[in-house]
Amino acid sequence: MARLPVDIPTLVKDFGPTLHRIPAGGWAHTIEDEKLVKTHCCFCGQQCGIQLRVHNNKIVGFEPWEDFPFNRGKLCPKGVKRYMQDEHPDRLKHPMQRVEGKGFEAISWDFALQRVSSEIRRIQDTYGKDAFAILTGASLTNEKAYLMGKFARVALQTANIDYNGRLCMVSAGAASKKVFGIDRSANPWSDIPKAKVILVAGANIAECAPITTDYIWQARENGAKLIILDPRMTPIARNADLFIPVRSGGDIGVFNGMLHVMIERGWIDRPFIDQHTVGFEQLAETVRKYTPEYAAKIAGVPPAMIVKAAELWGPAPTSFLMHSRGIEHHTKGVDNCIAAINLVVASGRIGREGCGYAMITGQGNGQGAREQGQKCDQLPGMRDIANPEHRRYIAGIWGVPEESIPQKGLSAIPLVEAIHDGKIKGLISICFNPAISLPDANFVREALEKLEFYVNIDFFLSDTARYADVVLAGSLMEEDEGTTTSVEGRVIRHRKVVAPPGEAREDWKILCDIADRLGHGDKFRYASPREIFEEMRIASKGGVSDYFGMSWERIEENNGLFWPCPEAGHPGTPRLYENGKFGHPDGKAHFIPIEWRPSAEMPDEEYPIILTTGRVVSQFLSGNQTRRIGSLVDQYSQPLCEIHPRLAEKLGIADGDFVKVESRRGNVVVRANLVKTIRPDTVFVPYHWPLDRSANNCTIRAIDPVSNIPEFKTCAVRVSKVNQPTDPIAMLEVQAGGIQ
Amino acid sequence: MMERAFFIDYSRCIGCQSCVQACAECDTHRGTSMIHLETIERRDSVQTAPQICMHCEDPICAQVCPADAIKKTPDGVVQSSLKPRCIGCSNCVLSCPFGVPKYLSNIDQMMKCDMCYDRSSVGKKPMCATVCPSGALTFTTMEEIQRTRQGIPINSWKFGAEEVKTKVYVMVPREVTRVDVDLVQIRTTAPALPKDPYDVALMLEEIQ
Amino acid sequence: MQKRIFPVTGSDTAHAMRWGAIAAFSLIVGIFLGSRGLRDFDPALVSYAGACVFTVFGLGYRYAMWLRRPPTRLYWYRGWQIFLEPRHFLRNAVHLGRIILRNIVLQRFIEKRSHLRWTAHWFLAWGCILAGAVTFPLSFGWIRFETAAHNQEIYRALLFGIPVGSFHLGTWIAEAAFNILDIAAVMVLIGIFFAMWRRGRDHGAMSVQQFSNDLIPLILLFAICVTGLFLTVSTHLMHGLHYIFLSQLHAVTVILTLLYLPFGKFFHIFQRPAQLGLDFYKRAGAEGPQAKCRRCGEEFRSQLHVEDLKTIQAALRIRYQMADGSHYQDICPQCRRKNVALIQDGLWKATSMSERGLL
Ligand code: SF4
Ligand code: SF4
Ligand code: SF4
Repeated sequence: MARLPVDIPTLVKDFGPTLHRIPAGGWAHTIEDEKLVKTHCCFCGQQCGIQLRVHNNKIVGFEPWEDFPFNRGKLCPKGVKRYMQDEHPDRLKHPMQRVEGKGFEAISWDFALQRVSSEIRRIQDTYGKDAFAILTGASLTNEKAYLMGKFARVALQTANIDYNGRLCMVSAGAASKKVFGIDRSANPWSDIPKAKVILVAGANIAECAPITTDYIWQARENGAKLIILDPRMTPIARNADLFIPVRSGGDIGVFNGMLHVMIERGWIDRPFIDQHTVGFEQLAETVRKYTPEYAAKIAGVPPAMIVKAAELWGPAPTSFLMHSRGIEHHTKGVDNCIAAINLVVASGRIGREGCGYAMITGQGNGQGAREQGQKCDQLPGMRDIANPEHRRYIAGIWGVPEESIPQKGLSAIPLVEAIHDGKIKGLISICFNPAISLPDANFVREALEKLEFYVNIDFFLSDTARYADVVLAGSLMEEDEGTTTSVEGRVIRHRKVVAPPGEAREDWKILCDIADRLGHGDKFRYASPREIFEEMRIASKGGVSDYFGMSWERIEENNGLFWPCPEAGHPGTPRLYENGKFGHPDGKAHFIPIEWRPSAEMPDEEYPIILTTGRVVSQFLSGNQTRRIGSLVDQYSQPLCEIHPRLAEKLGIADGDFVKVESRRGNVVVRANLVKTIRPDTVFVPYHWPLDRSANNCTIRAIDPVSNIPEFKTCAVRVSKVNQPTDPIAMLEVQAGGIQ
Repeated sequence: MMERAFFIDYSRCIGCQSCVQACAECDTHRGTSMIHLETIERRDSVQTAPQICMHCEDPICAQVCPADAIKKTPDGVVQSSLKPRCIGCSNCVLSCPFGVPKYLSNIDQMMKCDMCYDRSSVGKKPMCATVCPSGALTFTTMEEIQRTRQGIPINSWKFGAEEVKTKVYVMVPREVTRVDVDLVQIRTTAPALPKDPYDVALMLEEIQ
Repeated sequence: MQKRIFPVTGSDTAHAMRWGAIAAFSLIVGIFLGSRGLRDFDPALVSYAGACVFTVFGLGYRYAMWLRRPPTRLYWYRGWQIFLEPRHFLRNAVHLGRIILRNIVLQRFIEKRSHLRWTAHWFLAWGCILAGAVTFPLSFGWIRFETAAHNQEIYRALLFGIPVGSFHLGTWIAEAAFNILDIAAVMVLIGIFFAMWRRGRDHGAMSVQQFSNDLIPLILLFAICVTGLFLTVSTHLMHGLHYIFLSQLHAVTVILTLLYLPFGKFFHIFQRPAQLGLDFYKRAGAEGPQAKCRRCGEEFRSQLHVEDLKTIQAALRIRYQMADGSHYQDICPQCRRKNVALIQDGLWKATSMSERGLL
């Protein structure tokens, strides 16, 4: 019965989002009895070091941690104000169950766990094991991510577990694995300032990975040239030597066109290609037709830009390529990344100081959470769930028969579709807010309503948790301990700063308790997250992401350790592929020829404009945390539709007008923001907001055939001026989905 | 420890507002952000710029203050107005060449950036310069800045005929020795640039 | 009008000395007349009165100095000019009453800064005012108490020798009258307690406070209150034990404080009323034409204020005239910030464009 128990305004009244503005203890600050705890930001994949100020067992503020080498005290606004999610009035402090017509009522842990386990039993007995699914998240610690995978395969024995990294890193990961053989950024960030040319494709670094800015600016101080591909002029792009305002989905045009020019002018590293790669000839054959003119048509930019890009990138002595969701969120996301990586390998500039490649992780543990076996097709250590040898090893660690480990299950989008189809009847979710973060949000909400039983673990009542039958009050990052793996592949320590408030519990304890009630307690006897880490470390042994040689002490002493770290004395591996040794069994990099193909939905007469979506610096993902922090909401309070004045003029839209952005699937009504910094054929709406303010009402449920990432970055819409909406949702406060 | 100074490079700013958020965390004015973050002209550009107090050697704000409420510490930091004295006239707000002091009408008093005096007076970095992810705001030694930056730090300004020297430095290209504010016409895009340098539609038109 | 305000001529010190002397002399005359040719003057209090004369000299000196500063001088004249404007005099007088209540009596603006600060300040201020209202006239011989000729139980208060009231011993009025200084002392002590509590806890306040400016005044007031209360204790509970010594000690603390008055933090008591004049100035400005920024065209302040600032700046030799004949004061603060950033960014853009051969 996963339907909203009461209407949304009532839920908002009871559970927020409300804005927290004043820290525990007020603004006046005393330094007596204060404790500073060194830990990391809970938000994006940069995982900045930060110290939290604790007074009387309450988190009352923060202090920069200047000694942590990655960010040296630097923080984005989310990091600065993250402490405002502590002592928050919306915080869930006890388990709850849905009461029709009333909302949610508090229940005891005993009752909650009993109900959850019996519903799991009932559904699995009635419809089969796979009818109960798990959706998990990439902001969980490595320990929790590992536990989720094991919980699915051992306690529930369901094949259907997947995570929200499916919306994030999977295209980059798949491409990297295909070309290099390993799914990780190849270099530590310290290589960036040493590069003489930097190519950033589809990454709004200033807003989504702000700390990386200084690395790039430092490279410029050292004389580097900067090339940026983005349909919008981002703050970084303003200072670029070459800004290519590529049409969303046209990136392959630029990459193949650049390679075409590079081959033509001899700007490729022949000896490197011969020695360390395979497949170059087919690639060269493919890009032959990508003359600048041909490529420019695909990319939607002047050919001269592509030539200029090749001229900057081709002959440079050192270089660094970075990309993120802008090229990855496509039905050809993997291909986009491969086409970009081909440029790196063809130049031979990889695996050396100042020469490298990185994918910019989005979520807090975007890297680590995809290594520990919570993806539908993977086991811990990035092992392949279809590989019998891998299965055997993990079965051994878990102490279960190999056959009991399910085979590959559904990835996130097909999983939600299976719910919609009635094939999956029960769901447990943690650290995932699909009602906002998945494409085609109307479909997702419909799917949620079809669940027979839905249990959600969270610390705030997220937009998705409103549909739950049972909500289990879990823990914030700072209320538990563990490790995460940052954008660089650096494994770092999150420390416990305070205990979960009220009856809320650490997430791992909740999972172990459920496993216990399902009769698998013997496999989930952990006294602490450190014991989970110890098991995970061994489970990863011999895998690609090998943590075997790490310990929490070593991680702390070294300000993080880079995997692979296969044995106890091993210093870790900050830079991959040194001396041209790649991750494939043959030790070589594999070129893959890429042909451009159109997006799932191209603009047409009826829906003539491209909608692209993304983030703003002050909000994080679905906003379940950041839409509750007053000063972050003040910074950018409601979604705006960026639209070029030329397009706006054609549509009769003025700055600040209310506009309806409408696709075949749904619409979003927001205010127009007229800016010349976006392509005139494209509009942009950030996606952090719920309900009628959700850009994902419009986006398309089409996925990449390899990575299964949804095509968030391109869909066809029409835009029109409307009157100010006055329905009950519009009248809510902005952070709850209202509009001003 | 080597003497550290404050260096601004407006051109590096990415508008993230970490500085604004962190400024409100500094104990001398906790809960109120003192830094300014300007969006130059959003319709035309994504350019943004922070402005902290430049801590002038001979602060004009203090000269024009009728209440004698603005004081400079021996280490050269120009403080917020003295609470018992400030009468909230805003002379300082209007006269500061950099547009720094803020008049807070609810408390009828001027407050301004005091370089996080609680921090900088004990050898810690000011909040904004610690968190700023772009290095637009940096607090470090002169040696370090000269080693790591292309440009040079200057602290000489001319507003009309008024010469101003500041404790805070700004990074400019090597050949510049003083910024003459009066030489430059005041308009929305940077003077050296073509009109509308950030208009994507114009960039796409240049199809050759 | 402008002409009368500026330029300020003559030696600052001589001018200030003159005003100091005038103030001191006025007080002496006032004491002489008010005490009916010293008939009502209590010789025991002569040291207090003497210190007051010095203090008044200092205050006159300092105040005159202060008014010599161009911005202060301008506001002084403008404030009076606007206030005394015959057409609005009645309205202004009513308004004055209102803002005196709000800013001086209730001190609401301090309350908004912080409740703790307001509480502390309110007790300190009213404790001191109460004490001052009794002690100054007493030591100047302006008021005097005497028992009524017909009834030892009745006390009469005389102001300048003129009876202004009487009360019966044993009534609460009598209690209050005799213990008024103790009440004031307790109020001040409460204020000091809150102030110290705030200063001892608020990390921000701790880092900007200065011993000489912020703590000395509290210490002085504390000393006055404690020695004063000891006098009461000595009289009522200890049969006058050490009374002479204590009263001398008390006198020393009071005199020190009086001498500190014109120069330290307490001078703000005399500066503060300027806020009242300013209120009129702001109102007059808001009612008049507004100045528009030369860069963005938005109104940013009253024309009156912007023009007066130009005058002040000229008097201070701040040369904001631009080469093109315009005035930097005509640019709003926000545009100044944007402008500086644009110039710096433009310098960099020009360099990178000339590197790329575009310029
Ligand atoms: S959100 Fe990311 S960039 Fe911002 S402080 Fe946190 S980890 Fe750093
Ligand atoms: S923190 Fe730095 S980059 Fe961000 S807005 Fe402030 S000055 Fe600009
Ligand atoms: S606002 Fe206050 S500090 Fe500023 S000039 Fe006026 S009195 Fe002085």
